[in-house]
Amino acid sequence: MSKTTLQFILLSLVLVLAQVLVFNHICLFNLAVPMVFIYVIVRLPITLNTNRVLTVGFFLGLVVDIFSDTLGMNALACTILAMVRRPVIRLYVPREEDLTRPEPSLQSLGTPVYLKYLLTMSLIYCSLIFLIESFTFFHPLQLALRIVSSTILSMLLMLGIDSLMTPRSEKRL
Amino acid sequence: MNELLKFFVKYSSWFLFMIYVAAGCALLFSSNPFQHHVYLTSANVVSSEVYRGANSITSYFSLRDINEDLQRRNSDLELEIYRLKEQLRTADQKLYADTMTVDSALSRYHFIIADVINNSINHTHNYITIEKGRLDGIEPEMGVMDQNGIVGIVNVVGDHTARLISVLNPYLRLSCKVKGAAQVGSLVWDGKDPGEAILEELPKHARFVKGDTVVTSGYSTVFPEGVPIGTILSGQRDREDNFYTLRVKLFTDFSTLSTVRVIRDNMKQELQTVEKELQIKDEF
Repeated sequence: MSKTTLQFILLSLVLVLAQVLVFNHICLFNLAVPMVFIYVIVRLPITLNTNRVLTVGFFLGLVVDIFSDTLGMNALACTILAMVRRPVIRLYVPREEDLTRPEPSLQSLGTPVYLKYLLTMSLIYCSLIFLIESFTFFHPLQLALRIVSSTILSMLLMLGIDSLMTPRSEKRL
Repeated sequence: MNELLKFFVKYSSWFLFMIYVAAGCALLFSSNPFQHHVYLTSANVVSSEVYRGANSITSYFSLRDINEDLQRRNSDLELEIYRLKEQLRTADQKLYADTMTVDSALSRYHFIIADVINNSINHTHNYITIEKGRLDGIEPEMGVMDQNGIVGIVNVVGDHTARLISVLNPYLRLSCKVKGAAQVGSLVWDGKDPGEAILEELPKHARFVKGDTVVTSGYSTVFPEGVPIGTILSGQRDREDNFYTLRVKLFTDFSTLSTVRVIRDNMKQELQTVEKELQIKDEF
């Protein structure tokens, strides 16, 4: 096991715990629920085999599901998110060979591209989650508000995690 | 054969994607909460340990609110005690010969106190996990209340933990009535506000005013009669229907749930036997 693999396992553990213990209970203005554990899927190396990304996504979602009693919801949404990850990156980075490092980050993609990538991923995920959830109740306006507010909140929190993750020496650059 | 293998390898990610999506959908759409296996709910060993650990820290945060609730409830009960003592004294004087104290073991209902270790209010189907289970005498379909009012019904039971279906979950329908009236309706959550629920199917000849208290009806072995639920916010007649639909403000604050009482009905088995016998007689 390489150092990066270990780092990712640790990151997944911490983020899943943070999600189920803290962020699942946040419901800003009764609307916005932050979804931060998808940061793991966001940060997986682009060079990683799609099969592995899918597997990571499915089981990550399943663990969060078991903790929050939403059987199948996060697992389904995470699998779809893992599948659309590569097309989303292609959308903003036409040539993957240009990247300095395999992991998508502020440094390797550049701030504007990374922000767009993060926004797209959060938007896709929040839309999926709240659409799946709204099979039972359908209030269109509330649904749209929930998706938009949760996307913004998730993205801001993930940027926060980003700044925590980046070592000091790199920040000075 | 070689070509076929190549085909599978080339499109392996699509196949894997479809398998995972199918698995996700199967979990999602087969999820009748009464059939969940204990390992796939928050009552399993790992997640209940994690929630127990976190709860030992976070349970201090809402103590102030809970304390206030308890104080209020306490003063209500003290008043009740004075009133009852007064009644008792008069009754004692009247029926001196018949008075006999009843042992608490003979009473119909028994409370099991449990701590809430996980709770959600922002999903469309909310569940609660508590840290008492089968070994503490908890069984599925027991009612649960806290110091303010009803909380939910026990659904999946592990050895030391149990999962409840919260009132904030459309799978739960509770038989209830307006205090002081006999007509029964059913309470269900509409997924909008964690502080409010809907009382449906209340017959149109029921009399009530805004602010009346809604309590459980006692028509099942889950809750005794008269457990407080909430107050009426507003009511309207269903179109072309003979029923009222009322909006109810819930007494229970689901965001600061901490200690709950699981209600054990000692007559449950007896009642069920009697009902079953009646059913068998009907069939013949």
